Amino acid sequence: MQYVTGIDDHRTSTGLDNRKLLMWAFLGSDVMFFGTLIGTHLIYRNRSLSGPQEEILSIPITTVSTFVLLMSSLAMVLALAAIQRGNMGGFRFWTVVVAVFGSIFIGFQMFEFAEFAHLGLTPRTNLFGSTFLVMTGFHGAHVTVGILWMWSLVFASFKGKIHQGNALQVEIAGLYWHFVDIVWIVIFGVVYLIGAYGAENRALESVEHAARAASLI
Amino acid sequence: MAAESAHHEEHNHPGPRQYIVIGAILAGLTLIEFGVFYLQLDPALMTWIILVLSTSKFMLVVGYFMHLKFDDLRFSALFFSPFVIMITIAAVLMALFFNLTR
Repeated sequence: MQYVTGIDDHRTSTGLDNRKLLMWAFLGSDVMFFGTLIGTHLIYRNRSLSGPQEEILSIPITTVSTFVLLMSSLAMVLALAAIQRGNMGGFRFWTVVVAVFGSIFIGFQMFEFAEFAHLGLTPRTNLFGSTFLVMTGFHGAHVTVGILWMWSLVFASFKGKIHQGNALQVEIAGLYWHFVDIVWIVIFGVVYLIGAYGAENRALESVEHAARAASLI
Repeated sequence: MAAESAHHEEHNHPGPRQYIVIGAILAGLTLIEFGVFYLQLDPALMTWIILVLSTSKFMLVVGYFMHLKFDDLRFSALFFSPFVIMITIAAVLMALFFNLTR
């Protein structure tokens, strides 16, 4: 049997490109994955019996890392726009910016995890530690995969494997990167800002409650 | 035909200038979120403000950076269907959990 290869290789009966369809299907499944992690964290919120909780979250530092990740998304679309116009220099520059900003974000996350460990919060400490670190850890793993993907695109472009004719490969990598960004938008809003709001007061009340209980004994 | 379709889609996508404007709006919304956190607001009001701001950022990235606003509607269906299922399951589980452990 002979197979004809050509420009329509990736066309499906739906009229959509199968690679893009696959990426959107994957992102749909990843929505469920992160939804489970974020949902579990919210269900167990304020249920830890000991150890530090949301009061140790640093909003100023996380706002900066969120800004860095958002700007990496901007760099990603600028890289796509560049390659779609055949500007390979621009594509390489913006893709490297994406990888560097992603690495800075991971650096912030490593710093945050180290600080938490210093304050006594590990995945074993309490429910907050387990759900928060697993959720943000998996997000960090996704960012790391994205960084490797960006570098592979840059190296492939030097070998001539990425060019204006197959810019769709960059668009698909971009979909993945933007997805990682929107997951962080949700985590930053729901887990950090809403979660940490008034957390110091709650922690103080908890300490006072424990002290009163101890004085009664 | 597929190549033509892809070419047509590319022409529908925003240009670098629009991307930069969207990036600036995203940065501005993040700054507002940061500011709102330090205002002494009622927790319920603060929660709603953050939810609205986060949803706006989410929709801007999905619509413009991921091009869902301009691409085939079936991509949107593929992405948002699991989203609706996930939010429903999480909401039901949270309601059940809170009622059972109250």
